[in-house]
This record gives sequence, structure tokens and C-alpha cells, in this order.
Amino acid sequence: MATAKDLEDRLAMRYEPATYRRRIAGHDVIIHCHHYNARVQRTLEGARGIDGKGLIVRAAESVFADQLARAGRPEDDEAARFALAELLYAHLGFGRIDLAQIAAGVVTASSSHFVEGWLAGLGQSERNVCTFTEGYLQAAVFAATGAAVTVRETECMARGAACCSFVVERGERGPVAPNHKEPAIAAPEERGGPFVHSANVDEQAIIDAVVGIPMVGDAAGLIPAFSVYLANMPADFYNQICISFVEAMRGLGREKAAMRLLISDGEHCGMNTFRGIMHSPEWDGLIAPMVRDRADALLALIAISNALGWGDWHVTAHTPTSLELDSRYGYEAVGFREYRGKASAPQCAMLTGVAAGVMQLVYGEGTVEDRYGTFASSEDRCVACGDPACSFTVERVE
Amino acid sequence: MHRERVPACVHPETYKYFLDRDAVLPTWARLAARYGEPRRDPSFRTMEVVAPRFRVRATFLGNPVTVLRQRACTAADIEELHALLGYTE
Repeated sequence: MATAKDLEDRLAMRYEPATYRRRIAGHDVIIHCHHYNARVQRTLEGARGIDGKGLIVRAAESVFADQLARAGRPEDDEAARFALAELLYAHLGFGRIDLAQIAAGVVTASSSHFVEGWLAGLGQSERNVCTFTEGYLQAAVFAATGAAVTVRETECMARGAACCSFVVERGERGPVAPNHKEPAIAAPEERGGPFVHSANVDEQAIIDAVVGIPMVGDAAGLIPAFSVYLANMPADFYNQICISFVEAMRGLGREKAAMRLLISDGEHCGMNTFRGIMHSPEWDGLIAPMVRDRADALLALIAISNALGWGDWHVTAHTPTSLELDSRYGYEAVGFREYRGKASAPQCAMLTGVAAGVMQLVYGEGTVEDRYGTFASSEDRCVACGDPACSFTVERVE
Repeated sequence: MHRERVPACVHPETYKYFLDRDAVLPTWARLAARYGEPRRDPSFRTMEVVAPRFRVRATFLGNPVTVLRQRACTAADIEELHALLGYTE
């Protein structure tokens, strides 16, 4: 039987400074907050005419079956594989799941990143919200036993339950989809540029500090940092749900609406998450002393987002009413190429939205609602289309 | 002392408490006695004490202190904390 230390060692994070990517158990993980994750879930599940919930479950099942397999060892018995699944879930910041009774088809969760996100950002829910966990648990059963099962949440803390409860249903269903993508898109060897910097802002110190935080779940399996709950989500999961969402909406003739919705989620994320960050003690301790003006704040926020693994992106031009950025190895563009090949149109919805969001936050006035939509952003070139970098333009809406 | 509400996705009721200068060290001593010694993060120059249902976090200067509540945090928890901080409405 593998010891707890053995299992923990398998989940050690490896950081790649050239691309700002973090790697855990063979997967690049991207750090987003509970606010963004809950919003994207609502976008998919709220779209009429498609099975958004099914897209999330299938993506989580496919991606985590792969990640758990990579973290496993041939000598692991079933108990060790379930222990590894519990540990990975908490380690990544998704909360606590108890798999002690999974043989009897029962799972409980005492804390949940997605429940926290839903309640904080979207309010009390009329339905269960742990769709992601359903998919994760299906992956855990598959990784431990080889069985393809269906997991259904029966009680949810988002609806006032004391804990979330799930049942494991065995019966006829299709196989677990492999997480297939190829060929891998290599990181660019040249650094690009020139990029805009400030003599006041030590971007590398910010990146080093963020990377130095042990971004692993606490006793509750949550990661409270920067006044938000963070989680390490495999980039493949974001890629799968966003690509399949846009494709499903295309089938209804609503591809542009799908992209607009995903961009809007990024825009809200850019404003809400970074607003919280700018009021956090972490900001006060390290970053505020570097910031002399609004441009400094913008550059500091971009440095933080790079440390979170969002895009290896950098400012190429900047005024109080406009912003241009290049992203050299963003997970949205790279992931699209790896899953689908070259795209006919730019694919980086999250970065497009965040680009507008940070400008609204730094240069806007009033509440978040007052600022929303006061800057417009577009992605003009994209690695997914074969361009050497993704380029974003943001301008104030007059 | 006074407090200001700050935007934080972690909880809508998140406040920064601005301690009187002379009260900073005694307040942190009381927090440590009640919730354990502060953990320090030299990268961000922050320190915090972790209570069962909230965290108190500040820069190394110790002031202001940000109280980050968990969803399960109760009015009684906050009442006890306010007594430790010496905060009254």
C-alpha cells in the first residue's frame, strides 16, 4: 500500500519559467478563482438547446481519468487509487470528497470550490451545482476499477444541505473518452517583444512570489489566497468544455453568441478577481509599494496573471484608453491547436475578456456594473490560427 | 478604530479593520493567544492567524487586518473576534 507521502510526492508541482506553466501529474494546470469557474459552468449549463451539463461531466471524466492514470503506479491497489483520487481533488483545491463508501455507491463532500463559487458569485441555487465533481468521481471510479459509471449528485450544499452527496450508478453507458490530442505545440523559443515595462514594477519578483505560494488545498481542500478561492484546473478541462460548447452552439447557428458569452465570463473574471486581489493583504504587502500610477497597477496585474498560467502575455502598447497585448503560449490557443488543429478564427475567449476587464478595473470608475462594457477588446491574431502569437487590442468605448 | 468593507470574492462580508497604532501589537498578541501563532509569508510580506471559520490576514506591519470569513462563519464567531480586536459598531 502506498503511503500518504508516496502519493503526495506524485502530485508535486513543477514550474516552467519560460512559459509560466505549472505541471501536476502530467497535466498543465491553470489557476482560476471560484468566481470564474462558477460563471463558466453557468454559461454552459444555462445555454438552451445544448447539454451543457453533459459537456462538463464528460470533460472532467476524460481529463481526470487521464491525470489520475498518470499519477498512478502499476503496483497501486484499488484502495491506493481511490486514496490518490481523494488527495488529488483536495490538492488541486476543489474541496474534500470522502470515498470511504464508494464501493456501496455513496460519496460525500464536506467542502467544494464550486459551491463556494456559486454561492459567492451567483447566489443560492435552485438545483445541485457539483457537475464538475460528478465528472471527477466518474473519472476516479474508472481510474481505480476500470468501470465506466454514472455519478449523480443527490444533495448539494449550494441548496442548503450540510454536505454534498452523490450516488454511483452502474449500468449501460458508453466508454470513457480518451483525452486525445496531438501533436503537441511546442513553446516558442524566442522571447518576443519588445514589451512595455515599468521601472517601478518588479514583474519577476511578483511572479516569483506567486509561484512560491504553495497553491495546494488546505484542511478543507480549498485554496484561499488573494481574497478568492483558487483552484489548479487542468488546461485540458478548460479547452474541452470551451471547444465543445462553441461547437455545440455552432450546431444551433449560435457560435458567435457562444464566444461572446465566454468572453463576458473572462471580462467579469478580470474585474472581480483582480478587484479582490488589489484589495488583498498580499497586494498591500508586496505589490502596492511598487505601484506609482495606474499603468503600474496594470502591469502588476498582468504579471500576476502570467504567474497563474493564463497566457504568457505581455503589454506591447498602452495608454489610459487603449491596450495591446501579445500572448505567446496561451492555454486556449495552444489547446485548440492540439485538440482540433488549425482554427479559422481566434479562440482565446478568456484572455479577450480579461484584457477588457483589467482596463475597466484600472481605468474605470464606479461599481463593477458601471464599468462593465466601457472597454471593448478583440483578438486580432491567434496561435490557434497559425500565427506566432495571439494579439489583443482593447479600446475605450466612447 | 474603524473598518471598511472591501471587495472580495471569498465572502461578501469582508472588511479591513484599521487598528489604532498603539493597539497593533497587543491585538496580535491576543489573536495569537486565541487562535495560534501567526504564520508568516515572506514572499508577500503577510502574516495570518487561522481560526476555524475565518482568517485574519495583514502585512508584516500588522495593520490594517483583513478578516476573511468562510461561508460557515457565524455571528457568534464575529462577535468574539470583535471583542478581541476591541471593535464596536
